[in-house]
Amino acid sequence: MAILTGCASSGVKNPSGIGVTEMRADEKGFVAGTGVESQDLVAVTDKMSRSILDTPQIKSAHNPPVVVLDPVVNETRFPINKDMFLTRIRVLLNSKSFGKVQFLARDRMAALEKERDLKRSGQVTSSSDPNVVEFKGADFFLTGKLQSLTTRNSRGTSDYVLYSFQLVDARTSAIVWEDFAEIKKQGLEDAAYR
Amino acid sequence: MKTPASPFLIGVLLVGCATTQPVSSWQRTGDPIVDGKAAIEHGPKRDRVLWEYRTAVVAMRRGQFAEAKPLLDDALVTLGGIYGPDKDARRARSYFSAEAKKTFIGEPYERVMAYYYRAILYWIDGEVDNARACFRSAQIMDSDAENKTYSSDYVLLDYLDGLATAKMGGDASDALKRAAAEARLSRPPECDPKANVFFFVEFGNGPRKYATGEYAEQLRFLPGNSIVRSVRIRVDNQTLRADPYDDLTFQATTRGGRVMDHILANKAVFKSATDTAGNAAIISGAILAGQQGRHSVADEVGVGLLAAGVVSKIFSAVTTPAADTRAWDNLPQYLSFASIRLPPGTHSVTVEFLDAGGNPLANLTSTVAINVSEPARDTVIFVSDKNQ
Repeated sequence: MAILTGCASSGVKNPSGIGVTEMRADEKGFVAGTGVESQDLVAVTDKMSRSILDTPQIKSAHNPPVVVLDPVVNETRFPINKDMFLTRIRVLLNSKSFGKVQFLARDRMAALEKERDLKRSGQVTSSSDPNVVEFKGADFFLTGKLQSLTTRNSRGTSDYVLYSFQLVDARTSAIVWEDFAEIKKQGLEDAAYR
Repeated sequence: MKTPASPFLIGVLLVGCATTQPVSSWQRTGDPIVDGKAAIEHGPKRDRVLWEYRTAVVAMRRGQFAEAKPLLDDALVTLGGIYGPDKDARRARSYFSAEAKKTFIGEPYERVMAYYYRAILYWIDGEVDNARACFRSAQIMDSDAENKTYSSDYVLLDYLDGLATAKMGGDASDALKRAAAEARLSRPPECDPKANVFFFVEFGNGPRKYATGEYAEQLRFLPGNSIVRSVRIRVDNQTLRADPYDDLTFQATTRGGRVMDHILANKAVFKSATDTAGNAAIISGAILAGQQGRHSVADEVGVGLLAAGVVSKIFSAVTTPAADTRAWDNLPQYLSFASIRLPPGTHSVTVEFLDAGGNPLANLTSTVAINVSEPARDTVIFVSDKNQ
């Protein structure tokens, strides 16, 4: 009878729930797939920002080179917010390079142009002549590409992702810096799903 | 004889822990989106993805794309992270637990459709590369077919992968070649990277699941059906035809045997064997116990056999080989696609669903105005015979 009267929650997974677990962004969580995850983003962008700072064009420049971000191309099978890669590289470089490189906020151009036009029309004050073009042009474009190879069969799924980034000279189109990172993940789902 | 403890024991039986609720612990309103969200919120966690699938597609057919997005995103997170040990899946494989106890992610044709619908939503938002990523993932979901002839053989997934690649300036030739080779029902239209208006078309009722076999341990599919055989789209003075390129019944039934089918077959053998052994032991035990006098060795052996037989029958009774027939039951039967170049501005679009004789089904014909606002961004129209 004791067996029969057992608590019915034995049929429920984690009936009491699981408390929120705070993890580092570069840590592999207990919820994992074979796709692009936070630890990959951190590892790749850390490597790329270090590599960019070692580039002679940046390291030895007399004036901080001006860089514009050109959206990363996602050719993988994983839908992702690809802008996060360049955002994290930009933030790392801005915070760690002590002014060795300067980024332009091209994604804010609409708001910037509107503000300039307000100044030009005299609707708001201006600390300099608003008719002089002061928006900077780029010395370099920072961009990248994400590509993947996938194998899936009865023994599981394997995903290889190649993350490549480039710094392109805006005047000559020369690629002045390029680096890559690669991550391969494999997994096999429970037989109940196969 | 009734003991004083009996009422207490019955009380304990009835009072059991209330963590597991009856299946329907929410009020049904008749609105599939409201009910679907309630099921996601209050229903069994193992069915969460199933309800997300169903609710998302209803939302898309109502044009509520913002409603559909988070549902599919959540479902795809589960789908993409299903690797490794899983307690529910392990239980589903055990003799004494049903397959339907596992977290639902669907059979490959259902997983494909989750990615396919999400791809359409990405394209609507102008994220063509993420749409392409979903088409690619969808094709991967279909890659583990038993017969490799039917592996990754969705025409539209390759075609749309190619189209997206071409639109982004890449080389689409491989994907388009695969799409042409896979075409069984009809060949997709020529890929036009300069087209800026896309019609994702679906019609009919998709396949249904049922279980057969002595213990309902074999998963089978009832073919879907559709009185609609193609779609005619009139835009301004141009006419497009969207024939079916992919058939979900074909996709559901060409996957081949599952690993889980072998497990269920083993469960069925175990259930049958323990039942037979139980019968034999009970009959033998009863004969032995009945033929000799009390307290004889044969009597004791007979009682032992009876007990063993009962235990064996209990094992048989609690063995659950039944196949999981939970299904994404509002999928279409056919998938199609059409594209066209249109200048910016408002255009009147008439969609006619045609029967086998090429006649429009009057109750399904509709005319809508579409606004092609930015040449830089595609206009995506989701067309379903179940559009509301």
